[in-house]
Amino acid sequence: MKRFIKLYLAIIAALILFSGQVSHLTGAPAGAKAIPVIKVSVEDSSEATRVRISGGSNLDYNLKKSSESLVVTFRALSGLKLEKNAFTSQVIKSIDLAKSPEAYLLIIKTISPDFSYTSSARKNPFELNLNLKLKSGTAARETKPAETVPKNPPVKGKEVDRSVVNQAGEPASRVLDAGPFRKKDMKTIVIDPGHGGIEIGAKGNYGTLEKDVTLAVAKKLKERIEGELKYRVVMTRDSDVVVALDRRAAVANNNKADLFISIHANGSRRNNARGSETYFLSLNATDEESRRLAYFENNSGELENRLGEQDFDDLKLILWDMAQSAYLKQSSQLAEFVQGQLNQLLNTQNRGIKQAPFKVLTGVACPAILVEVAFITNPDEEKKLRSEEFQSQVAEALFGGLNEYFRLYEKP
Amino acid sequence: MKKNKSKNKKLRILLVLLVILAVLVMVFLFGSRKEKIKHESHSAGADQVAGKKAEITMKQVTLFFLSDNDGLLHPEEREIPESDINSEARAVVEELIRGPQTGLMAVIPGNTRLRQLFVTTDGLAYVDLSRQVTEANFYGSSGEMAVVYSIVDSLAYNFKSIKKVSLLIEGNERETLGGHVDLSNPFLPDYSLIAR
Ligand SMILES: [Zn+2]
Repeated sequence: MKRFIKLYLAIIAALILFSGQVSHLTGAPAGAKAIPVIKVSVEDSSEATRVRISGGSNLDYNLKKSSESLVVTFRALSGLKLEKNAFTSQVIKSIDLAKSPEAYLLIIKTISPDFSYTSSARKNPFELNLNLKLKSGTAARETKPAETVPKNPPVKGKEVDRSVVNQAGEPASRVLDAGPFRKKDMKTIVIDPGHGGIEIGAKGNYGTLEKDVTLAVAKKLKERIEGELKYRVVMTRDSDVVVALDRRAAVANNNKADLFISIHANGSRRNNARGSETYFLSLNATDEESRRLAYFENNSGELENRLGEQDFDDLKLILWDMAQSAYLKQSSQLAEFVQGQLNQLLNTQNRGIKQAPFKVLTGVACPAILVEVAFITNPDEEKKLRSEEFQSQVAEALFGGLNEYFRLYEKP
Repeated sequence: MKKNKSKNKKLRILLVLLVILAVLVMVFLFGSRKEKIKHESHSAGADQVAGKKAEITMKQVTLFFLSDNDGLLHPEEREIPESDINSEARAVVEELIRGPQTGLMAVIPGNTRLRQLFVTTDGLAYVDLSRQVTEANFYGSSGEMAVVYSIVDSLAYNFKSIKKVSLLIEGNERETLGGHVDLSNPFLPDYSLIAR
């Protein structure tokens, strides 16, 4: 009898536990190794555009804005399916799922890079809510095919250099594909005068603004290079306007630049900081990103087959974020030549070659450096930076450095 | 004999049930433990708070400020109240903003406010600063690097659990402080900017 009681107790206990477990299991069918499915819905409102991403199981994700795309990276998954309802939105152009070796990328493409977003997430069941908002002044316009070059008037509140955009020509994704069809007899050098417009850069004690010095030096360098009739020169700006940092890299890439030189004058809290230095990019990227890039370089053909042309273009744009990582060796070589010339021609202290995670360099798909010529925050050097003579010397030094570089890499 | 057989049968049933029970209990425990971990990751630092004592014990930390002589970051010791990681990290950044007490130079603009500081369980510290940190006229590459790495290095140096630091401005991601250093990726410490 005693045994029977034990038996009944055991059965009851088992039933209670089991019933609890059943409801637990039905909530997460992923336990059966089914491929997780994410559902995406889009809804415009007067406030913002809301994208709701939901799935049964919890997903490890990462958010990143990349020009006109917002990318949700889902990591460490063996598979992922996308279920989306047809939608019409004033802000979102397309939503697609792409696969990289270690992640799935949900690419949300908007009509303009000038948007901000907020996100909130919930676990169990997984739900990620994104609220996208175009920045004020960016009018929501109808979806246009990517081929049309925007001829809109400058965006209100922010002077955007449209001439540069137009000069840059086609949208980035198209130009990247131009490859063998483009004949190149002349090397292209992109000169990037730092800052501009309301972004004045560093400011000296006598009121000299970095943005003015950089533009003056850049113009002199352009003249000097063009005088030799050997290279083509493109400027990321040739007047006092704001140009976004990723736009500067895009100008280089769209023009298939062979060299990118960003010109700056340095600033420090220390008034006695002095001298010139040349930077190339240091990767602050995670290992995952470098691996992703390495994979992309080795398997782009395969990826292209799998993704379809449009998706592939999107993916390339995202990977552009790290384009410079493939050119670090050449960039350091270029930095060495340029720094050597600065030391020789300018009478400024040699601060050497350095590496830093500079935004303007990350997306440039060719050897690229950022030169910090003297300190505008040092009164003596500020005076120098204002003088035409010194500016010409800087241009001469930069020209000498890039010539040395081309001589090294030019093989008959 | 017959009685014995049925007894054996009952025993066998009991054994099978017990095994099922054991398996279910294990699945149940395992499942609920997983949930618990997830739950805890939401409230990082809560455990440390619980362990706080009534009297304040002080803890020595090392802050990195700029030296006017060599332009490198130099250490300065400071005492902060011992607490959970979020509060301690907060104190470190606030002391950095307040500036040095010895002959070194402040790097962060003095009117900057630390809005939020939060360390995730996987070691990423989010440091949310007010917009004044972007309003400086000394932001050449050197000035910007000094601000970024005095914060990143000071946090990573003092707290083993902080592996990376992400800088936010007014609660948002921002491209750069003044047009140079990319803020969109979290920073690993770079001790090459510190004097040896
Ligand atoms: Zn600058």
